[in-house]
Amino acid sequence: MNDSEALVSTFEEGEVGIVAHSDFVSKVPFEFESGGVVPGLCLRYETYGHLNKDKSNAILICHALTGDHHCAGVYDMTERKQGWWNFMVGPGKPIDTKKYFVICSNVLGGCNGSTGPRSINPETGKPYNLDFPKLTVRDMVRAQALLIDSLGLDRLHAVIGGSMGGMQTLQWAIDFPERLGRYAALACCARHNAQAIAFNDTGRQAIMRDPAWKKGVYASDAPPAHGLAVARMMAHITYLSDAGMEARFGRKRRAEDSSREHFEVEFEVESYLRYQGQQFVSRFDANSYLYLTKALDRFDLHGSDGRLDEMLKAVQAPGLVVGFGSDWLYPPQANREIVEALLRLGKPASYAELALNAGHDSFLLRAPKLDALIRTFLDR
Amino acid sequence: MNPNSKKRQVDFQVIARWVKQGDRILDLGCGRGVLLEALMQQQSVYGVGIDIELDKIISCVKRGVSAYHGDVHAVLKKFEDASFDRVIFSRSVDLLEQADVTLTEALRVGKHVTVGFVNHGYWRNRLSFFTQGRRIHNEVYPNQWHESRPSNPFSIGEFDQFCKSTGIRIVNRKYLRGNWRDTCPFFPSLCAGYAIYDLTKG
Repeated sequence: MNDSEALVSTFEEGEVGIVAHSDFVSKVPFEFESGGVVPGLCLRYETYGHLNKDKSNAILICHALTGDHHCAGVYDMTERKQGWWNFMVGPGKPIDTKKYFVICSNVLGGCNGSTGPRSINPETGKPYNLDFPKLTVRDMVRAQALLIDSLGLDRLHAVIGGSMGGMQTLQWAIDFPERLGRYAALACCARHNAQAIAFNDTGRQAIMRDPAWKKGVYASDAPPAHGLAVARMMAHITYLSDAGMEARFGRKRRAEDSSREHFEVEFEVESYLRYQGQQFVSRFDANSYLYLTKALDRFDLHGSDGRLDEMLKAVQAPGLVVGFGSDWLYPPQANREIVEALLRLGKPASYAELALNAGHDSFLLRAPKLDALIRTFLDR
Repeated sequence: MNPNSKKRQVDFQVIARWVKQGDRILDLGCGRGVLLEALMQQQSVYGVGIDIELDKIISCVKRGVSAYHGDVHAVLKKFEDASFDRVIFSRSVDLLEQADVTLTEALRVGKHVTVGFVNHGYWRNRLSFFTQGRRIHNEVYPNQWHESRPSNPFSIGEFDQFCKSTGIRIVNRKYLRGNWRDTCPFFPSLCAGYAIYDLTKG
């Protein structure tokens, strides 16, 4: 037996079980990178596991664009849907809650309990909507740092996240180099390429051209549902891969029904995407989607002078970046170049590439090698 | 434990002697990161390993060795001239697609390049082909031709010729006998089982 076989051997796994969220509320004005200010903020978060005596075992998980603070467990026993990274977080799992105190918060600008465009502006008594300050990934991270302060933590054992969570992770490593012991960024990039910006803007246009959007001032029971659903459907395609979609749907048709109108759902893939679009409308705020996608488009570790190495100089902690072969949204090269820059700078950093066929969303699917990699990186 | 693994680390001691305290080291085909781990611990080097196999990368991560999963030649292009003190190929040159191109690139990126290789001209290998008409099958060459990776085994004579024709300067070299342990003082092209070269640009 060689040691890689030992790495993927099975561990006794359990579940975090029933969880509940908490709210961190700050009454201190929060200034955004853009200069905008909110008089205070709330971050909704969940924790799993226990903080040890010397407070050295905390791991912060950063979620992706449409994720939230609920990354593991269920809210009650009847719930079938578990947190978005349930296979990764729990007793005996790669992010082992028997060893680590795990924190995950909904981002600033989000819409699942944290302060965002849908929150009430205390100054007007109405939702911020488009009065919400321009948002950056750095703002999200600075808000998270306030939460970490409030938990009495000087330092995190690790920060980890995929996609937008990976960008936050990198920003953490840059902005708070002495506050984290290591970081792992999955399916991420140092900046969006033209294609990623193009997809995001097309999604935003779908929302903003929906008559129900009303320049961002819509009632919570009358959102721009059509625009938001189309934006989600299109974005969802970019999270998958050609091979993955072909394997899952191919040209499979819904049950034959001659009474069906010509443009009604015919193929399975249409049905799937429409369902994804509808589901999304029920859980996500359109303005929040606009703000978050814009923050992603503007995220740029190359900086104005195009020097990635310059921006990464501040990093101290050892890093792990994981790319996925079938990810065409944030392709392997976009992940690799981060590590290449770190290595040029003489920083401790590793790059691993997984040949999974689930596209950008590969980091959200269980794979033995991904398990082994994350577990190994966090535990050493 | 693979019986070959001890032998696989045969050049580590020689390489370690050529490495200076705090050097920046790039190990191409780093495997599980054993050499870099030792150099990091003993000589406080900044080490980076490159390997094409994910399992090897995971093992490096376990050892705390920075590792990059990818193609050796592609990654060399990402580094500036003389940005490493030493670039190491330990039993990996024979696996390269275009060894001459990659070695030239390694000499650009590294101030020194170390190449450790099995001498294919070792007398036993010659004898096997001479008497049986087939390549030798032993712990150095454990797999049959049809179950092993494509590789370009070469001899000390061939490597010397390559260095000469490309103007690569041989700063130092060390020959080991068939047991890969004792120094081989005579007729290395015939009597050495393993050779380690320290190279710089001409």
